[in-house]
Amino acid sequence: MKRAIPVVVLSIAGLVPVWRYEPSAGGTTSTTAEAAVTPSSSASASASSSGSGSSSASGKVVKGTTVNTDKGPVQVQVTFEGDRITAVSMLQQPNHPQTTAAVPKLIAETLKAQSADIDAVSGATVTSEGYKQSLQAAIDAKGA
Amino acid sequence: MRRVEHVMGFPVSLRVDDEGAWEEAADAVFAWLREVDARFSPFRADSEVSRYGRDELEGESPSADLAEVLDLCEHYRVATGGAFDARLPGRGFDPCAVVKGWSVQRAAQLLRTAGARRFVLNAGGDVVASGGPWRVGVRHPEQADRLCAVLELTDGAVATSARYERGDHIVDGRTGRPATGLLSMTVVAASLTVADSVATAAFALGAEGVAWAAAQPGCEVFAVDTAGQVLRTEGFPVAARSRAA
Repeated sequence: MKRAIPVVVLSIAGLVPVWRYEPSAGGTTSTTAEAAVTPSSSASASASSSGSGSSSASGKVVKGTTVNTDKGPVQVQVTFEGDRITAVSMLQQPNHPQTTAAVPKLIAETLKAQSADIDAVSGATVTSEGYKQSLQAAIDAKGA
Repeated sequence: MRRVEHVMGFPVSLRVDDEGAWEEAADAVFAWLREVDARFSPFRADSEVSRYGRDELEGESPSADLAEVLDLCEHYRVATGGAFDARLPGRGFDPCAVVKGWSVQRAAQLLRTAGARRFVLNAGGDVVASGGPWRVGVRHPEQADRLCAVLELTDGAVATSARYERGDHIVDGRTGRPATGLLSMTVVAASLTVADSVATAAFALGAEGVAWAAAQPGCEVFAVDTAGQVLRTEGFPVAARSRAA
């Protein structure tokens, strides 16, 4: 029986987007106005406190470092409830029309532990020692 | 054909499913990776990277390969506001984070040039997949024998940065302290050069690295924060529950 996992979709208004189109001349003016975070929360039951409450007094708001890119300065702001990230927004973004086009969305989910039939394992760089006990070693041994 | 060798301090697993004899192509892959180790390891005093780090190239300009690595390091240093930095104060020049993805991507290109189409190359947890569908699991950050996600790759690469294997080895260049804002950061991209660099750079950035990585061109992200919550992009290629028959 699968449990319904509350999924909060954080729409990140104006989050820097996909710079794959090379603009002719990237404007370097920065907008310092706070981007509106609109967590269009489709949260169910247990996650009801997320949503618009993410910018309330209970959440801790941390501003990131301003990062200079060739298209202009970028700065994000992360809102925490305890250790949980509840919202990510852009404080500064390059002033370019294409930045408003793409809005990457982050989906928050509960961490699950699972097993599955797989061909390879991605993980932090394993040591040659750690490999012996790894899932990848089992896959290699199975197929050899 | 399958082969596993230990190069650059980690295991490299290669599987080629095309018909034919692939031993020679596999030899070329591992020979290249051993060459990279000899030339780019900061742990070998006589490597090109160590000599460059000590300013000992004496008028020689860096090789084309080293120049590529230096460009990548600089690109991600600037893009992360210095959180990702191959030149940390008090340490020698260490481009490992970039060299790994870059060199394994190059190894995959050697296989393609040799005619291989359907293969998967896993370099210590960083994977290049070709001619899939391949199912790639992402190691659970707290349980070594479990997965926290399974993704499906046809042609592409996936890299993960975390502290569970080698401890606090990724340093936030802005503070000089180990990066501890995330448990794990997995990035999918068309090439491992991008996936590995972005995963490491985002891990160095910490919590704000999630949005940063999501905004990198062509990157899909699956991150686990220190509270054990997953934040992923909509386009992260989550696989179906079971393999298609």
